[in-house]
Amino acid sequence: MNARAATTAPRGRPRLAAWRRQHAWCLRDSLHQLARRPFGTALTIVVMGLALSLPLAFYLLLANVQHLSGALGESQSVSVFLKPSITMDTAESLAQDLRARADVAEVTIRTPRQGLAELAAVQGFGEALHALPANPLPYVLLVQPRKGLDRAQAGAMVQALRALPQVDLVQDDGQWRARLDALIALGRRATLLLAVLLGAAAVLVIGNTVRLDIRTRADEIAVQQLVGASASFVRRPYLYEGVWYGLAAGIVAVLLVLLLEAVLAAPVRELVASYAGRLQFGGLPSTALLLTPLCAAALGWLGAWLASTRHLLRPSP
Amino acid sequence: MIRFDSVSKRYPGGREALSNLSFRVETGEMAFVTGHSGAGKTTLLKLIALIERPTGGAIEVGGQNLARVKRGGVARLRRGIGMVFQDHRLLMDRSVADNVALPLVIAGMPREERARRVRAALDKVGLGGRGGDAPAALSAGEQQRVGIARAIAGRPALIIADEPTGNLDPQLAEEIMRLFVGLREAGTTILIASHDLPLLKRMKQRAIVLDHGRLIDDVPASEVA
Repeated sequence: MNARAATTAPRGRPRLAAWRRQHAWCLRDSLHQLARRPFGTALTIVVMGLALSLPLAFYLLLANVQHLSGALGESQSVSVFLKPSITMDTAESLAQDLRARADVAEVTIRTPRQGLAELAAVQGFGEALHALPANPLPYVLLVQPRKGLDRAQAGAMVQALRALPQVDLVQDDGQWRARLDALIALGRRATLLLAVLLGAAAVLVIGNTVRLDIRTRADEIAVQQLVGASASFVRRPYLYEGVWYGLAAGIVAVLLVLLLEAVLAAPVRELVASYAGRLQFGGLPSTALLLTPLCAAALGWLGAWLASTRHLLRPSP
Repeated sequence: MIRFDSVSKRYPGGREALSNLSFRVETGEMAFVTGHSGAGKTTLLKLIALIERPTGGAIEVGGQNLARVKRGGVARLRRGIGMVFQDHRLLMDRSVADNVALPLVIAGMPREERARRVRAALDKVGLGGRGGDAPAALSAGEQQRVGIARAIAGRPALIIADEPTGNLDPQLAEEIMRLFVGLREAGTTILIASHDLPLLKRMKQRAIVLDHGRLIDDVPASEVA
């Protein structure tokens, strides 16, 4: 029978060419099927895009908080306000003593004049400072703890600084920094969890959409199987469909987050300006812009694979 | 080409559709399977296309023992058979040409060759120039001819047809049968299930007569009166 059967499978290189042509047909067919129901397709894509944009927005927020945390890195230092009577020589001598400590990495002296200049730079303070008869600010030592100190060791260092007779006040900025780091770690984990949950939701949404499509096109599948389509041929258009859904939803998610960025750009710029340029607002990195649609396409493929596998496990007519 | 050796088919409900059926159809031969409704004609064709599996006996198609064809090989076997259905089984949301091209697409045939074969198949069934039409725009007879064009487009060695003229008027039915005779003359083996006895007599082809799943007569073409 096969001698005359012109539609039997070719071998070798022609077989590869035939496989490529089958893929090309399935790819076009999947796009054709999506275009036949534009409203339903768009609705699925937008719903998935919204779901995927949530973890992406959280990621953006978290990246910026982390950035903020990095920009405020020097706040990890402990500010040691010396008594007003302390002179430059005494301050330098004390700084020298502190640099010798094992738990201290660096000590910077901030003079009363530098402090006043910083205050004057802050909007609204300039006029008030002119009214002062003399500079009321003391010398301040910015003590940077050695890296790797745990909370107990840092606390012991702060206690030791407070006990010094030349010291008026010790402001431990490291404490709120530690809290911020803990919050960032929590946020990172929550974002990961959200991404996993919404990724699973995307797989299920696409899987269900493809399942419904398979049911709607059950007659067509039966005809394909009757005229000799293999299970992989029947499945292919649905896998492509899943990939298109995922890819489009990923692009929608990226666009939504870019829109969010654009909307927030102006107020954030004002906030950044109030920090005298020490802070910067970062957008989505290009890797995220590229990876999000690709990952979403992979999720779409997975959803379609699950749905089509389940259907094709049933015996063909 | 086709060999049935003591083939039986019993459905899960207990109904015996075919019982101890043996016959041969040689390459290039055309034969009708006939009998009343429920005689087992459709089941016989389903066994050849592996839509059903026999519960007893052995079937060979093109020298291949169908009992040895695993699930993955079913598609390959069907690609070598042109099937025509009573209800046409056309994809109504595709054009006539797309329907005819389906087995060729499945075989991964190049686009130009596909287009050439589709045109040739449609010309052969008298539907040249209708490739762009939707099946819904065609009459029942024309739809049946599209189904035949789809079956012959891949130039299969074997064509099986289940009541291909069931819904057609006598003139159109004869026209379609003449088409099958033409294909047989070109070397294709053809097996047609039909209960239209007057038409069978006019066609003067071999008739395998079934009754309640049993072979009751096998009339050679020369003896059909």
